[in-house]
Amino acid sequence: MTDFSEPDSTIRHSSLDTRHSADDTVEYTVMTRDVVKVYRMGDTEVRALDGVDVTIRTGEYISIMGPSGSGKTTLFNAIGGLMKPTSGNVFIDEIDVAQLDANELAWLRCRKIGYIFQSYNIVKVMTALENVTLPMLFGGVPPDEAQDRAVEILTRVGLGDRILHTPKELSGGQQQRVAIARAFANRPAIILADEPTANLDIHTGEEIIELMKEMNQERGVTVICSTHDHKMLDISDRIVWMRDGKVQKIANRADVDIEINTMKEKE
Amino acid sequence: MKPATQPSADWEIGSLSLSLEVVCSMAVNSLRQRIGRAVLTLLTICTATAFMMYLLTMPRSTDPVDIQSWRLMMILSLVVSGAGVLNTMLMSVTQRYREIGTMKCLGALDSFILYSVLLEAAILGLVGAFAGAIAGLIISILLALADHGGEVFRAMEIANLPGKLLFVFLVGMALTTLGALFPAFIASKMPPMDAMRGEK
Repeated sequence: MTDFSEPDSTIRHSSLDTRHSADDTVEYTVMTRDVVKVYRMGDTEVRALDGVDVTIRTGEYISIMGPSGSGKTTLFNAIGGLMKPTSGNVFIDEIDVAQLDANELAWLRCRKIGYIFQSYNIVKVMTALENVTLPMLFGGVPPDEAQDRAVEILTRVGLGDRILHTPKELSGGQQQRVAIARAFANRPAIILADEPTANLDIHTGEEIIELMKEMNQERGVTVICSTHDHKMLDISDRIVWMRDGKVQKIANRADVDIEINTMKEKE
Repeated sequence: MKPATQPSADWEIGSLSLSLEVVCSMAVNSLRQRIGRAVLTLLTICTATAFMMYLLTMPRSTDPVDIQSWRLMMILSLVVSGAGVLNTMLMSVTQRYREIGTMKCLGALDSFILYSVLLEAAILGLVGAFAGAIAGLIISILLALADHGGEVFRAMEIANLPGKLLFVFLVGMALTTLGALFPAFIASKMPPMDAMRGEK
C-alpha cells in the first residue's frame, strides 16, 4: 500500500515550490502544510492530526478514507475553518484560514465553503426552500433573488415538487438532497461532505453520491468527502487514506481500480 | 474556477451583512414554528407583569407593616419573573444548539445569533408585558370592586395610572431582554462544531 505514497509526496512538494510561478498550469484550491492538532484529554495528549500535507486541485473530487479516530473529521474541520489547528497552515485559495478572525471565518464558511453533514442538519423549523435560502441571506443576496435561486437549485437536485415541505415530511435521502442544494447555493469554492451517506441505505446512498458527482462536474466545485463507503472511490479523482492522524497515502482513482478488489477481500 | 496561483481581487475577505427586515422575519417565523414554547414564555412574562401591576394599583393601607410586606412582594415579583424568563430563554437556546451550530456553519455571524435570540425575546416581552400590564389592572379593579363596591376607584391607587402602566410595561420588557441576554451571548460565542455536537 505504501507504493503510492512516494510519487505522490513528490508531487505535493513540487506543487508547494512552484505555486507562485507564472507558468504553473494546475490550479489549487486547498493546501495544508504540516497541520497538527492536539487535544488534551485529562493528562494525556491526543494528536488527532500529526503533520498533514495535502494539496487539492480546483474542481477535484477527493475522498478521505480511514478508520474512525484516524483524524478524518479533524482534518475536515480544519479545512472548513471550524477549528484552529495547533500548528501548521491551511490555505484555501491561498488564504491562510488560521489567520482569519471570527467574522472573516463566518464569511469564509458562508461564501467559500458548503457543508454536507452525516446527519443532514436541516433546520427543523424551516421548509426546504427556507433552508436553501438561508446561506444566501447570510451572504447578502436580496431575498427575492435568493428565493429564485433556491427554487432553481432545489429543482436541480430533484425536489422541485417539495420545496415547501419541512424536514419532518422528507425522507433521509430527500433531506440530504436539501443539504446538497444548501451547500451549493452560495456557489462555494469547495464542498466539504462528512460521511454524507452514512445514515442512508445503499440505494439512496448511491443516488446521493451520483448527485454530488454531477454537481461537482457541472459547477466545477471542488468536493472533499470523508467516507467509509467504498462506492465513493469509483467516482473520486483521488483518494486520501488517513491513519493515526497522518496521511498514509494518496492515490489516483486509476491506480486504485487495480487494487480495489484485494482491498475488499481484506475487509 | 479561478487560478489559485493569483490571489485575485474577489478573494478579498468580504463582510457579511443581513438586513434588519430579514432578521425580523426570521425571528417571527421561528416564534411561529415554536408556538408552544412562545406561549409558555408569554404566560411567564404576562403573569409576572400582571402581579406587578396589581401591586401598584391595589388599595393600600398606611400601616408600616403592610407597606413593608408590599415592598417585599414587589421585589419578589421582579425576582420571580426575572428567573422565569431567564429559565425559559436558556431552555429555548439549549434546545437549539444544533440549529445554531448549523447556522454558524452556513455563515451566520455571532452578532446574527445574538440579535435573533434577543429579538425573539423582545417580541415576547413586548406582547407579554403589554398583556400583563392590562391584565394586572383588570384584576386589581375586580378585586377592589369585590371589597369596596362603588368606592372602588377612591380606594385604589390610580394616581398617575398611565405612568404606572408604562413603568410596568417597560420593566417587563427589560426583564425579558435581560433574561435573554446571557443565553444569547452563550449561544453566539459557541464554536460551530461544539454547537453541532450539542443535544438535538
